[in-house]
Order: sequence, then C-alpha cells, then structure tokens
Amino acid sequence: MIPSDPEMLDALAAEYVLGTLDAREAETVRRALPVDAALRDAVDAWEARLGSLTALAPPVAPPPALWDRIEASVAGRPAAPVVPLRTGRLWKAWATGATAIAAGLAALLVLRPAEPPRMTTVLLSSRDQPAWLVETEGGGLRLASLTPRPLEPGRVQQLWALAPGATAPVSLGIIPAEGRATVAPGVIRPEPGMLIEISVEPPGGSPTGRPTGPVIFIGRLAPAAGT
Amino acid sequence: MGETNPGMDDAGTILAVAAGEAGALRRLYEAQASRLFGIAMAILRDRDAAADALHDAMLKVASRAAQFDPLRGEAGPWLGGIVRHAALDLARARGRELPTDDPNLGDAAIAPDALERIAEAQQSGRLRECLAALEARNREGIVLAFVHGLSHAQIAARLDEPLGTVKAWIRRGLARLKGCLA
Repeated sequence: MIPSDPEMLDALAAEYVLGTLDAREAETVRRALPVDAALRDAVDAWEARLGSLTALAPPVAPPPALWDRIEASVAGRPAAPVVPLRTGRLWKAWATGATAIAAGLAALLVLRPAEPPRMTTVLLSSRDQPAWLVETEGGGLRLASLTPRPLEPGRVQQLWALAPGATAPVSLGIIPAEGRATVAPGVIRPEPGMLIEISVEPPGGSPTGRPTGPVIFIGRLAPAAGT
Repeated sequence: MGETNPGMDDAGTILAVAAGEAGALRRLYEAQASRLFGIAMAILRDRDAAADALHDAMLKVASRAAQFDPLRGEAGPWLGGIVRHAALDLARARGRELPTDDPNLGDAAIAPDALERIAEAQQSGRLRECLAALEARNREGIVLAFVHGLSHAQIAARLDEPLGTVKAWIRRGLARLKGCLA
C-alpha cells in the first residue's frame, strides 16, 4: 500500500531512492509510480536531492564485451519506444483532469439503460482539455469529438489501443474528419486499463504500424460508474 | 564559447535515443559507461553482476528514453538512478548475499574526504553542506545505503548498532537532509 499521508508517502519515496526498501516494498513502489503522480514527484525530488552521492562511487571501466551484449539485447526487442515522447506531460495532465471529468461523465451515463459492463474514457489534450469521449458499445468502441477542430492539412488522426501489459499499441484505424468513429467488435477487446491514444500521422496512416507523430490525445478505459 | 557541457550533451543524446536515432544509445553508453559501471560495482562488488546490472539498465534506458524530460531533471542523475535501481534489484534478488565482510568496504565512501568528492559534482555544494551538518552516524547510514546498497540490517551490523536504532537514524537523517536542502 502507498500511504496517502504526505509525510509517510515522502518517507517511503526517500527510502525507495535510498535503496533500503526490501524487494516486496520496492516492487510495490515501482508498480505505483506510473499511476501515482504524488509518489512520482516525491521520488523524483529525492533522486534530485541524493543523486550527486553517486560521485562517491569511483568510475570503473566495464568489461569490453558488454556493449555487444547490450546491443544484441536491444536489437532483439521492438525498436520503437512503446510510449512516444510527449506522453510524459500528457499523462500528468490526464491524471489531474480525468477525475473531475469522470464525475460529470458518470452523471451522464447513469441515465442510460443498463447494458453489459460499459467502459468509458475521456481523451485529454496536452492542455488538459477534454477532446474525445470514448465508450464501449456492443463489444466495440464509439468515439465522439467534444471539440471539433480543423486538422492540419495533409495530416490524419490515427486511433490506437494499448492493452495493459502489452508492449505495442494496436492501430484501430484513421479517424474520419467529421469527428465521429466506431471501432467494430473483434478489432480489439476493450478492457479496463486499456490506453486509448490518438496520434497525428501522414495520409494513409502510420507507415510503421506504430505511432510516428505526436500523441495528441490520451485516456484510459475504466468501468463507467453506475454499471 | 566552445566549452562543452557534458550533462547537456547527454540529455540531447537521450532525446536522440527516444527519437530512435541509430547509434545514439551507443554514444550515450560510451560517454557514461565507466561512471555507471562504477555505480553498479559499488553496490554489487562483483564484475559479472555489475555487468548484468548495466546491461539491464541500458535496456531500460532504451525503452524509457521517451520519458526523460530535460526540463524536470538532468541526464546524469536520471541515468545514475536507473543503474542504481537495476543494481539494487540484483542485490535484492541475491538476498543481498554479497561480499560485505571486506573490512574496507565503504570506508572510502564515509571517509572524511568523501564529502569533498561530492562537492566536485555539479550543483551539489549544498548537499555536501547538509550532509556535513548531520550527525556522523546518520550520514554514514545514508551513504552506505545509497552508495553501497547496504540494507538496514547490513548497516546495523557494520556500525554495530541495533537494527531499530539504525532505521530510526536513517529516517531522521533523511528528514533533516530534506529540511536542510529545502
């Protein structure tokens, strides 16, 4: 458990950075870092405070063959970064804005007739503005733009899904210019925690099968309240 | 002009790794390998294990480069943190059953001149002052944990103090350090 008391949270972050947590405690912190902004800020602050203590470890030349081993391991993995640049700040914005929006969204959704477990998310822009409403519908997804805006000429918006634990996002297709889209059941299986992203791509979509342009909207599917 | 800022160069190289630039990871490795291997060696005290840690850390650097934000932190500490945690993970996986019976272990890190070496690192003059202001045992506990990856129990054995006392010292030392650096 990550304590909610700020002082205890800070003490935990300090000992995580210091290295004195046992394996189980350290793993708990590591798992919480991507989703707990307060913990992440506390850990970053302690890394910054104590970081220069590493100067006490004298430099040692590594074994000459080590680089070849690293290179071979890196080559054996998917080359493109899983989380594109810019999502760092987007994520933070998303984390702070999503809660408030979820409350409003929940009020909207409970008025609807009950259906199989419904999941929703609101994709936020880098400025924390709600931009797209995403809902599961009959095993697929439905998207609606909340703030229709003109696209850059010669660019399209491509929709992606990243399942929890998956290493690469799956393309769900190009979003039509009119700002509404549906994803047929079977293309993906929506699940709680799934990350939904929209990236800017050249006409016809990403040539690599991964997002190549900036991710401009992002959100995470969660069960809708009231279902 | 013409003066290079190695930290800035490394930050640029990390961004190049994030952008998928060929050769960028190798450039970063060549610039930082000795420092990073030294950090892993101080914790693991075993060349094979330290090589494993640096290997694991460089894979993490390759996959996490996009999360590095030069506005939020410098390259050196970011890389150092990844290597330290990779080495700590290995140390924990081995139950920290590492050679700690070396009578000289950690002496260099807690020797009086050690603080001078911290001061050589950029922007760390304040950390040096704040460490110097701590009681010696608080300081030694923090340094042995951070630099050598010793557990509470190992620090307690080394300083010949009860485990609970050492835990309390370290916690208090960290709190004072935070106050001093604020």
